[in-house]
Amino acid sequence: MPLTARRHVTLAVACAGVLLATACGTGGGSGTGGPGGLTVWFPGNSAPEIELVTKTLVPEFEKAHNVEVEITYVDWGQISPKLNAAFAAGTAPDVFGHGPAAAAGFVQTGRIDKLDERIAALPAEDREDLAAYLEGGKVAGVQYMIPLSGQGTLIAYREDLLTAAGLDPASPPRTWAEAYQAAQKLTVREDGAVSRAGLLLQSAKTQRVQTFLTLLGSEGGSLLTGDGRKPAWNGPEGTRALEYFARLYQGDTAVSNQLGADFANQPAAQNPLATGKAAMVMATSGQVIQIAKARPDLADKIGVMPPLEAATAKTFGGAGPGLFVNADSANKDLAWKFIEFMVSRPVSDRYAQAAGALPVRASAATGAYASEQPLLKPFVEAAPAYLGSPNVPAWVQVRDVLDKHIEQALAGKVPAAEALAAAAAEAGPLLAGE
Amino acid sequence: MSVATQAGPATARSRPAVRRRPSRRRRLIGLAFAAPAIAYLAVFQMFPMLYGLYLSFTSYSPLDRGAPRFVGLGNYAALAGSAEFLQSVGVTVQFVAEVLPFAVGIALGLALLANRRVRGIGLWRAGLFLPRIVPLTAVSLVWLWLYSPDGWFNSLLADAGLRPHTWLLDEDTALHAVAVMRVWKALGGNMVLFLAGLQAIPKTLYEAAALDGAGAWARFRHVTLPGLRPVMVYVITVNIVYLAQSFAEIFILTGGGPLGSTTTTNFLIYQQAFQNNQFGSASAMAFVLFALIFAFSFVAMRGMGRRS
Repeated sequence: MPLTARRHVTLAVACAGVLLATACGTGGGSGTGGPGGLTVWFPGNSAPEIELVTKTLVPEFEKAHNVEVEITYVDWGQISPKLNAAFAAGTAPDVFGHGPAAAAGFVQTGRIDKLDERIAALPAEDREDLAAYLEGGKVAGVQYMIPLSGQGTLIAYREDLLTAAGLDPASPPRTWAEAYQAAQKLTVREDGAVSRAGLLLQSAKTQRVQTFLTLLGSEGGSLLTGDGRKPAWNGPEGTRALEYFARLYQGDTAVSNQLGADFANQPAAQNPLATGKAAMVMATSGQVIQIAKARPDLADKIGVMPPLEAATAKTFGGAGPGLFVNADSANKDLAWKFIEFMVSRPVSDRYAQAAGALPVRASAATGAYASEQPLLKPFVEAAPAYLGSPNVPAWVQVRDVLDKHIEQALAGKVPAAEALAAAAAEAGPLLAGE
Repeated sequence: MSVATQAGPATARSRPAVRRRPSRRRRLIGLAFAAPAIAYLAVFQMFPMLYGLYLSFTSYSPLDRGAPRFVGLGNYAALAGSAEFLQSVGVTVQFVAEVLPFAVGIALGLALLANRRVRGIGLWRAGLFLPRIVPLTAVSLVWLWLYSPDGWFNSLLADAGLRPHTWLLDEDTALHAVAVMRVWKALGGNMVLFLAGLQAIPKTLYEAAALDGAGAWARFRHVTLPGLRPVMVYVITVNIVYLAQSFAEIFILTGGGPLGSTTTTNFLIYQQAFQNNQFGSASAMAFVLFALIFAFSFVAMRGMGRRS
């Protein structure tokens, strides 16, 4: 039967309606895991971690609590944009993971829940066990994030290359000055350019701020004033730290190459330490363990130095990424149960192992994972020397400003002191909240 | 009832064509069938654009719970004095200027080669068009490897006895390296458009020119180029529009570095909006970029149109 004009119109309008409904039907409150469910976003793309969380841990939690949990892994570079968009749209997850540096910004806009009371309700034994890294999840003394692991950066080195250069791998450099001297011996130059780096610190975007923080902390300086309202990086300690960093790349005595290269996020087998294109490389515990896994032939040739000293021994590290509870979540109790589950003793150990990270619990330092993984031990022992990014609201913007000026100094465009002063002038108003 | 007369070649039985005005019912049916497309355009194109324009006059972070705060022309005024923004405009203009002549010139050359009847020409055309259909993100990832310290370009240098180069980490080469990749990516699409244009030029014009003694160059200059002018205007305009909005290749290959040497305006907009949460300022940048693209495209179209 031929359709009448009225039917044609009705059909077309219905199609348009359906299209509009599907286009606009994403509203609603935060958390889309259903009335009894939970949505969780994790940052990162580590395959072993994703497999453990999605195939083992979450099903265990779902079974124990008879709920559904919707897990999404978001690449680190995209986690902030996606969270911002989701908060604006009212579709942010009940629980989400992020780095400690993001906490203050979420606090300022009232997007995350305080967790002090929930921490207080934990058994005393658990509180003590988690205490070391919990500090990194606080903003103005209030707990907002529960770290899932610890993180730290140290200098890993190739024992075979040190031996070949006439250095004793059993007594590696203890200070930054010694590291530079050793790097001179380890560096290979061809036609005036460095073909094998003696010492390679992380110099990619934002990573160079972490490296600068390591060097600054070792010089006894700090990034911000005590109240977090003014830059403090432009003092003499900062200048010495940045001059050291820049000297690695400049002139005939350069010991580093690949300025700006993001080797930290390259596949482990392509890390300069694995390929032999660098003899000493700044790396996290996860990277060192992954390199040893990717190149089993090198596993017993890789050493890790304790934190290097200038005035003192400090290095970038502390609380790693952790979990936050969305302030608008309709399932806050369940959200907390999920976090509690993730940092419970057996789960946190398995999680740290999969992520190649430092276990968040102090008791795990003597556990199976830490004892079976000799490369992890120096990172666990270095915990007292770890220095984290400041938890201030404008940190991400301040970091980007500092990053831009550090890059100028590393490229030799401006002297270190001038770069740091310019960064302080630009970041000052951001820190003051102007 | 209105009567429209269609112009057309005179024939023995030519007479004005008569077109009835559609009835109200038919117009309603037409409108109803167009409704999904209209709804799509309204929801996904017009509304975001108008909302973006509104945001450009406000201060707004997506994390804020309050409404955007009206700041008038403050965001636009700030851009005028922003060294970062002005540098990004310079980078964008340089990028377009580097890519456009090669993306158009080489594509035209390839189209002339592909416009021949020889065995295997279909395969040749398909091969040249292939980069066009591969997503820009995938292409960028492949070129990231090609440019890497252990990548293909450096292995060529090594074979030639030359030192490897960090193409994407050197301020002097990063933008050129991205431009080379972008030229390669643009060739296939441009070539196909030129090929269609070439095949639409009547062969009789070439025959007449040949009879008049025109050589190959004269035929190209006086028949091919004028015949291709409408396609040329389209290709240049579309390329300006796309290239000035470059983002994915910058995001993947260089992240805007080193030293901001590849931070195009579109990349800066992304940073300002999604890393700094400054949606008002980012929206203002977007509308300034829109105005610049419009102006460049308009000048290109008018310039070429006038010559034709």
